[in-house]
Amino acid sequence: MSATLRRIVVCLDVDKGRVVKGVRFEGLRDVGDPVSLAARYEAEGADEIVFLDVSASSEGRDTMLDVVRRTAEVLFIPLTVGGGVRTVEDVGRVLRAGADKVAINSAAIADPALLTRAAACYGAQCIVLSIDAKREPATPELPSGYRVFSHGGRRATDLCAVAWAARGVALGAGEVLLTSIDRDGSRDGYEIPLTRAVVDAVRVPVVASGGAGAAEHVASALRESGADAALVAGILHDGRTTVSSIKMEAHRAGLSVRSAQDTR
Amino acid sequence: MRVTLLDLGVGNLHSLAKALEAARAGVTVTIETDAARAVSAGVVVLPGVGAFAPAAERLSPAREALARALVDGRPCLGICLGMQLLFESSDEGPGDGLGIFAGRVTKLATARTPHMGWSPLAASASAPAWPWPDAVYYAHSYACRAIEATDVVATTELDVVRRGNTVGCQFHPEKSSRGGLALLGAILEEIGA
Repeated sequence: MSATLRRIVVCLDVDKGRVVKGVRFEGLRDVGDPVSLAARYEAEGADEIVFLDVSASSEGRDTMLDVVRRTAEVLFIPLTVGGGVRTVEDVGRVLRAGADKVAINSAAIADPALLTRAAACYGAQCIVLSIDAKREPATPELPSGYRVFSHGGRRATDLCAVAWAARGVALGAGEVLLTSIDRDGSRDGYEIPLTRAVVDAVRVPVVASGGAGAAEHVASALRESGADAALVAGILHDGRTTVSSIKMEAHRAGLSVRSAQDTR
Repeated sequence: MRVTLLDLGVGNLHSLAKALEAARAGVTVTIETDAARAVSAGVVVLPGVGAFAPAAERLSPAREALARALVDGRPCLGICLGMQLLFESSDEGPGDGLGIFAGRVTKLATARTPHMGWSPLAASASAPAWPWPDAVYYAHSYACRAIEATDVVATTELDVVRRGNTVGCQFHPEKSSRGGLALLGAILEEIGA
């Protein structure tokens, strides 16, 4: 078995069945449809797609399952779905709809054993622990200097991000999706010290998220933090860069990535 | 071409069914929960999500019939866990595999497990002339070994195995984009034609 290539993961925020935040693609009229956008990003060389369900209502959640179902029919790369997953039954519903992995965030903070139950049912490889972390002065209670926030980054917890990542993996998560609240949307580059600390603390793949403003940011985050994957959203959606530009940049930085052309 | 996808109880078969249909024109997929009934219909596909023990248990009432059918030439493709079920047994849990391939499934010893993501695929010189993609998608913590793990002195995880019309794939061709679908189509063509 040869080494794992670094992944470029494209994230789409979905609300009531539509992609929110503008997505601009030349020649694609219906830019709000998650199904066609996911397929479009696959064709451009994305290694994986994440749908983040930002709907607040249960009606929105049902719509999301339908979106996942329709996406799974046309998408032939892995699909991760996060947002609003609270129980093992929720995990099962999302997987049965066609997702390959389910990201759990606030529900795991409220009930860490959920990770264990979900992994026992479906395997660690489909359980992703999603962590939103914010930098603070380090204290004995917060040795890493990164605090975990729940509820979409709105609610502070007592958890230290690095310790929580290690615990979540010990409980059953097979991957960590790590978002820097400070960097998210800033386009200043990824929070490399946070990412590196978590990469060093766990033995499962880590996906770095938050802060991509240019292809160079993605390449340097992967190189300097050792993360397996980087999540990219806004700069792709508004056409600032492309998946293949990011991969070329990563390749130039000496990283092994799947060729964006190898899509036959 | 008729393809019977055996429902081993866990995971989503819908997208795999769509991938099989997209991989080759004229493929019709039936999802079958009864392993005994899968024996008599077209290409049998053992899907790739879940754990060894519950899948082996699900398979057990039809295990001998299915194993005999495969030895007699019934085409079969096992993906990921489905490939592991073609071997004899697994460290992941109790239960018997189909034993089409001699060997055991053992835990990966790599720095990061699960092995989750894309890895380059290097087919051996003697491999069939299938359209091998440069990279394929894996999601597994266990891997098949052709000999006892205690004898292993170098990495021997197997990516693709074939005996007659039975093929096992540790990676997920159905998640390996268009290159994966092309390979899937070629395998179906070869074993199912």
